[in-house]
Amino acid sequence: MNPEPRPHQGVRLGVLPQGTTRARVRDFCAMSVTTPSRAEIGVPHRPLRRGTDNALVGGVCGGLAIRLGVSERVVRVVTCVVALLWGVGLLAYFALWLTVPRAGEDRSIAARLLGGRNRLARVAVAVAVGVLVLVVLHPFSQALLGPLSWAFLLAVLGLIVVWRGATPEERQRLEELGRNTPLLRSRAEWTKTSAFVRVLVGLVLVLLGVRLVALVSRPIDGGAPAAIFGAAFVVAGAVILLAPWWLGLVHDLSDERRSRVRVEERAKLAAHLHDSVLQTLTLIERSAADPGQVTRLARTQERELRQWLFGPATTNHEATLAGALDALVGEIEGDYGVRVELVVVGEATLTEALVDLVAAGREAAINAARWSGAERVSLYAEVEPDKASLFVRDRGRGFDPSTVPGDRHGLAVSIRERLAARGGAATVRSTLGEGTEVALEVALA
Amino acid sequence: MRPRVFLVDDHGLILAGLRAELADDVEIVGSADEVGAAVEMILERRPDVVLLDVHMPGGGGEAVLREVTPAAPEVRFLALSVSDAAEDVIAVVRAGARGYVTKNISAPELLEAIFRVADGDAVFSPRLAGFVLDAFASEDRLGEAEVDPELNQLTPRERQVLRLIARGYAYRDVATELAISVKTVESHVSSVLRKLQLSSRYELSHWAAERRLT
Repeated sequence: MNPEPRPHQGVRLGVLPQGTTRARVRDFCAMSVTTPSRAEIGVPHRPLRRGTDNALVGGVCGGLAIRLGVSERVVRVVTCVVALLWGVGLLAYFALWLTVPRAGEDRSIAARLLGGRNRLARVAVAVAVGVLVLVVLHPFSQALLGPLSWAFLLAVLGLIVVWRGATPEERQRLEELGRNTPLLRSRAEWTKTSAFVRVLVGLVLVLLGVRLVALVSRPIDGGAPAAIFGAAFVVAGAVILLAPWWLGLVHDLSDERRSRVRVEERAKLAAHLHDSVLQTLTLIERSAADPGQVTRLARTQERELRQWLFGPATTNHEATLAGALDALVGEIEGDYGVRVELVVVGEATLTEALVDLVAAGREAAINAARWSGAERVSLYAEVEPDKASLFVRDRGRGFDPSTVPGDRHGLAVSIRERLAARGGAATVRSTLGEGTEVALEVALA
Repeated sequence: MRPRVFLVDDHGLILAGLRAELADDVEIVGSADEVGAAVEMILERRPDVVLLDVHMPGGGGEAVLREVTPAAPEVRFLALSVSDAAEDVIAVVRAGARGYVTKNISAPELLEAIFRVADGDAVFSPRLAGFVLDAFASEDRLGEAEVDPELNQLTPRERQVLRLIARGYAYRDVATELAISVKTVESHVSSVLRKLQLSSRYELSHWAAERRLT
């Protein structure tokens, strides 16, 4: 021990004369500032306060250790041992929990509960309820716990009282304890405290279970229910003891599964990019001498990638008007090297009428791509409740409708007849030098 | 007068390409490849038009819009993106962009769009027009408790104009077709843009999100 008085460390029990009021007051003043948060072995501190930083449950043992200057572990082991002696340790624990203020607080739980008005009435009610509960439950619990029964029941009551009277901070700590204790934490999340509490709870349950089973094998009271309870206790204890390892295993498995999914996802992406983009890039490199081909390849690839990235995720995209038009755009861009700009408003499942509409649009778009000389063809489709229309427009050289070349004329006629049969129409408007627009329309049933 | 243009894109190649294409006709006052730098420089240089990439790390074009617009409402934005996804288009326009074109637009068209935005008009590509028509199509689904029906519906004339734009008509073609002036077309389009930005239509966002799921 260091003979020199150390600052900020409180007063040593042996140094100060005890018994005088003044000394006690000074003592207290010094303590309230300098009480350490952990026990210093060989250095007792006053006054007795329940520990906060070194608390496992209520901080009673920690507080006692600080007060007595012995290690926390010694106090705990002694408490546990004494607890087994008819539950004396347990009762003492709860008595101190209720009557000793927590470090940093000025009133004990009991003082807080008993402060205020009607205190006699409240105490009376509490005692009455307590006695009633004890009397009712004692026969049951005695079968399980034997001589520990009273202490156990009183401890449960004490816990309830503690909860009622705890300050918000202490309550929060207890809630945290409740969350940490149980059962479902994997090994990685273990703290010393939670491990200790877990092992304790698990062992107690197992011991209780074994004791119950033993009871049943002797022909005393208990019988079948006790056997079932006993088995349940053993199982619960075992689960609590083993849960961390099991949970750790589950975690590892799900981690592994997640990373496998990621790898698969990546492989899928890589495969797609390889099949499409890389192939196209290779083709583009090879045909660098042919600008038309390069443009065509780039456009095809662009459209495909765009579809993959932004396109609707429907499985039966093909069966809709938009899907059919998408395919049409791909075909024309691929075959003729023009850009086709497609805008679809509304959506409809592909019916026979719409198939005819798309076929007509295809002819018109091919014409535009072939003859107009425009770099771009605009396709606009709109689905309305009673009809669907499709416009094919280019801003190419246009033509004079009165001097239509033979093949075009024939085409227009075939389109017109087909659409007319579907309750629709086809009109061609063209101005020399301005471009052409074909308007197609079918009726929807 | 040559508009002062600022470029925002996180791809250096695109920035270089845009610079090369536009430098002769507009005054390029700067470029940025990330959101933070873009906001700072735009606020400092106050360009007439910002060409704004939609997809960028750190919130994308939308973040730039939300930072700049309150402080400098006179700066106009034209969104430029490779994405045709409806939700991107709608999001950036609703955040305040005066138009939306895709990156495969030709240089002359892009220039025209920039000048149009610089003049305070809206730029609707055929695809954007199609999106708007689609999103505003469902009059029958309009709820009873609609706060401002005027904002949530297109007039027949606006619908006509949008249809023609979606069909590939340039503004002056639309004007010729409908026998109205280009200025009138522009005012219709601006009005649609306003509705698009201010409308509380449930369908707008719902529809945009749904496009990818159905």
